[in-house]
Amino acid sequence: MNTEIEIKQLSKNFGKKQALLNVDLTIKQGMFGLLGPNGAGKTTLMKVLTTLLKKSSGEVNICGIPVENCKQVRGMIGYLPQDFSMYGNMSAYEALDYLAVLSGMEKKERQKKVPQMLEKVNLEHQQKVKVKAMSGGMRRRLGIAQAIIHDPKVIVVDEPTAGLDPEERVRFRNLLCEIARDRIVILSTHIVGDIEATCEEIAVLNEGKILFRGTVSELLHMVEGKVYKAEVSTMELPMIKDTFLVTGILTNGSTSTIKIVSEESPMKDAILCNGDVEDAYMYLMHQYHDPKKCRNMGVQTPEREF
Amino acid sequence: MFGTLFIKECKQILRSLVYYIYVIVLILFLTSQMSGDSVNDLQKPKKGLDYYGMTVSTDKTDIMERTLADLLQEVYQNSFSTYPMGFYKQVILNDAELDEIKEIIEDCSGKDWDTLEKEMLEYYEAADQSTIEGAMQAMMEDRIEVKKDISYDTFCEKMERVCKIIGKGSSYEKKRLDYGVDVPSTYEKALEEYNGIVEKDRVTGAYMRLFCDYAGIILAVLPIFLGVTRGLRDKRSQVAQVIYARNAGAGVIQGSRYLANVCMAFLPVLIISFVLQMPWQYQAQTLGVKADVLAFLKYDVIWLLPEIMIVLAVAFFITELTENVISIFVQVVWAVVSLFSVAGLVGGFGLKLVTRWNELGGSALYEQQKSQLYCNRGFYFVLSLVLVVLTCLVYEKKRKEGESVYGKIFKRRK
Amino acid sequence: MERYLSVGSNFLRRQYLPHLLITLLLCIMSGFFVSFQNLSPEQAAKVMEMFVIFTGILLFTPLFMPEQNREIWLLEKSKQTSLWQLYLVRILEALVLLAVIVTVFIGVLSLGNSEFEAGKLWLGSFAEILFLGAVGFFVSGITNQVVLGYMVSVLYFVGNIGGSKYFGKLALFQMMKGDFTFMPWMMAGAVILLAAGIVIREKMNQ
Repeated sequence: MNTEIEIKQLSKNFGKKQALLNVDLTIKQGMFGLLGPNGAGKTTLMKVLTTLLKKSSGEVNICGIPVENCKQVRGMIGYLPQDFSMYGNMSAYEALDYLAVLSGMEKKERQKKVPQMLEKVNLEHQQKVKVKAMSGGMRRRLGIAQAIIHDPKVIVVDEPTAGLDPEERVRFRNLLCEIARDRIVILSTHIVGDIEATCEEIAVLNEGKILFRGTVSELLHMVEGKVYKAEVSTMELPMIKDTFLVTGILTNGSTSTIKIVSEESPMKDAILCNGDVEDAYMYLMHQYHDPKKCRNMGVQTPEREF
Repeated sequence: MFGTLFIKECKQILRSLVYYIYVIVLILFLTSQMSGDSVNDLQKPKKGLDYYGMTVSTDKTDIMERTLADLLQEVYQNSFSTYPMGFYKQVILNDAELDEIKEIIEDCSGKDWDTLEKEMLEYYEAADQSTIEGAMQAMMEDRIEVKKDISYDTFCEKMERVCKIIGKGSSYEKKRLDYGVDVPSTYEKALEEYNGIVEKDRVTGAYMRLFCDYAGIILAVLPIFLGVTRGLRDKRSQVAQVIYARNAGAGVIQGSRYLANVCMAFLPVLIISFVLQMPWQYQAQTLGVKADVLAFLKYDVIWLLPEIMIVLAVAFFITELTENVISIFVQVVWAVVSLFSVAGLVGGFGLKLVTRWNELGGSALYEQQKSQLYCNRGFYFVLSLVLVVLTCLVYEKKRKEGESVYGKIFKRRK
Repeated sequence: MERYLSVGSNFLRRQYLPHLLITLLLCIMSGFFVSFQNLSPEQAAKVMEMFVIFTGILLFTPLFMPEQNREIWLLEKSKQTSLWQLYLVRILEALVLLAVIVTVFIGVLSLGNSEFEAGKLWLGSFAEILFLGAVGFFVSGITNQVVLGYMVSVLYFVGNIGGSKYFGKLALFQMMKGDFTFMPWMMAGAVILLAAGIVIREKMNQ
């Protein structure tokens, strides 16, 4: 059986609102990042993949099995929703055990797996803590444990690092990377840093359409030789922001160091520097939303449909 | 998977405050209601007493004569009791309507109104009404003789006209008449009654009917809250999505929840009835009768289990469909209407949710109406299974389409 | 002042409306269940005590509905307007609605040519209905579970049908027997329950 998710011409609409439009994607083993602003359709796409939402049209195959075969697909996926929670009066152990039962695991298997998973997500000392008494980070970790306990081929994780502190966030990313070694892990986020740190393959989604798909280095390649650093007077900032795509500002009293993405050098003392994923992402979004500004910057609006 | 989920669900129920309130209220209600019936009152009747309580008679002459006397009373006071929608409603008539009913009474009895009124007043003056028993006996012995040539069917036709005048739900409707009337009991009847309790019911059976009468009232309401709480728990704890995404089927998920709730709701009923039955077992022993030790189990399963099942099933279904507490209002109204829709407090089961048997004994009558009770409970048993299946379908639909049926209409989308 | 009005109307439109619709439905359907014509004082009291009383449960129990969600509760707590003020606005709304409902029913009863002392029955009904509503309010307040609020208040009602003797001065259905001495007790009970509901709720969440 192949380890691959195939999405062809997938559309989903809620009444008149088009949440996904002709999405084509192939997702292979490893970490896959789904990036996009809030409301881009990331959660909708993930819910379709996890059988929680019926698609309007198109085709989705998960490891060769059409998503319509709910029962089979559900056995193969692990899902961590954005706002994961469990019954407040259950302890970490009970909650995990309960969900393992719902995945059809036998008692012996559960007795082995549940402590193992708790250890994996660093909850082994808190296994008696009630869900309602858990911090956001603990709850997330419990969430990832429940998503992998039945050893699924595909793990779908929606906004996993939202609300975590920096330390927890790093730990969480590492955990996901570890898990992704022999599976597909799909990670949606609007936090660019998550993607940068973990994913090889990514897709950028906006208003239900795919704006970009490829590797992180391909994305970075888009802004190669286009990112500049410059020192400007703080007073000028509003004006500069109007004409250029500013991706970073560091104010230091009357002067500010800014980062601009532009085809040509925007001003005479601007220095060319290395762009990061954030710059590329901003560039992509602006190309889509504000093609005029891009032209101002000397950027050609791409003709082809993404 | 089903068994494990069932056990986990039971453990969950044991942790919920609603369940403890359920158990406490059940115990308080039943012990306070049942304490009135003293074990020691059950004795072989003695000869030569004035009052042997009352009994229901289905003798046609009894029915006609007693009904006519009751009607005369109501006309005299111009106050007619009706239960149109299950609740008591007093009806007051105008003079023309009263005259028409008076004519009907005259027609049936062959005497004119003034004579009848005089006889009635004289009768009650002569009767000893100083005690409740006396007053009741006087009422039950009050009769108006009917003309010889009036058959029961003609009488019923005439009463149909009376019903038209008074309105729906009066005590002169055919089915109410067929049900019988209260008449004073005699020594022979009381003995027959006693023998019924001892032989047919073996004491505990008669007591369990009374138990089921009271328990049936409170069980029309109590399980609603268990069902609604369970139905809303997934939404409240925001776990619906996580559970939807597992591969357990709707039947397993909802089925185990339902079964766990039924069992946990039924268990305290069984225990309470077993405990309350014990003194009657001893009483049977002192009367020299071998008590039916398993009566509590038989009556609980036949009488109360289907009621718990249907109340929970309706609560599960409505709550799964609407995801709010509306089921409480619907079901409380259903219970209260069913409770107050009286065609007597004994038997007359029909398809009522709350089936009454507010009497210790009545073995013969019960034998007669048993099949009706079985039909009633069988119907609710089947209906609750149907509703559970429907609940699963609703659950599966929500799971696949990602939104609730109700939400499509009312809720704003994210 | 404007602030309270806006808070109040917001609650009314967003959360309270379905409950009000059910209350309205109950009132409209009353014609099917009870008679309003030619009643004696006891019968008139019965209409109020056995039927109109449900509006108390419907009006007062769901007042904590929005804060069932803990996050919303905490968020509202952080705002300048204290929560008890919010609750008070809602209670006030419910009180006004209850007063209207009681007045309408008493009006219909007296139009139906029934004999009773309108003022006395009004006060008695108001106190009794408010008290049962306050029971629901209190329980749903301290447990933060609306279902429990309904459960306890409905059971209080059902329990009184058979065993009002166990409830002492706080027993329902006294007016049907012509006894109005419960009024001050129930009024005080209602006020205590309403106040205690808010205080205990906020203390527990600190």
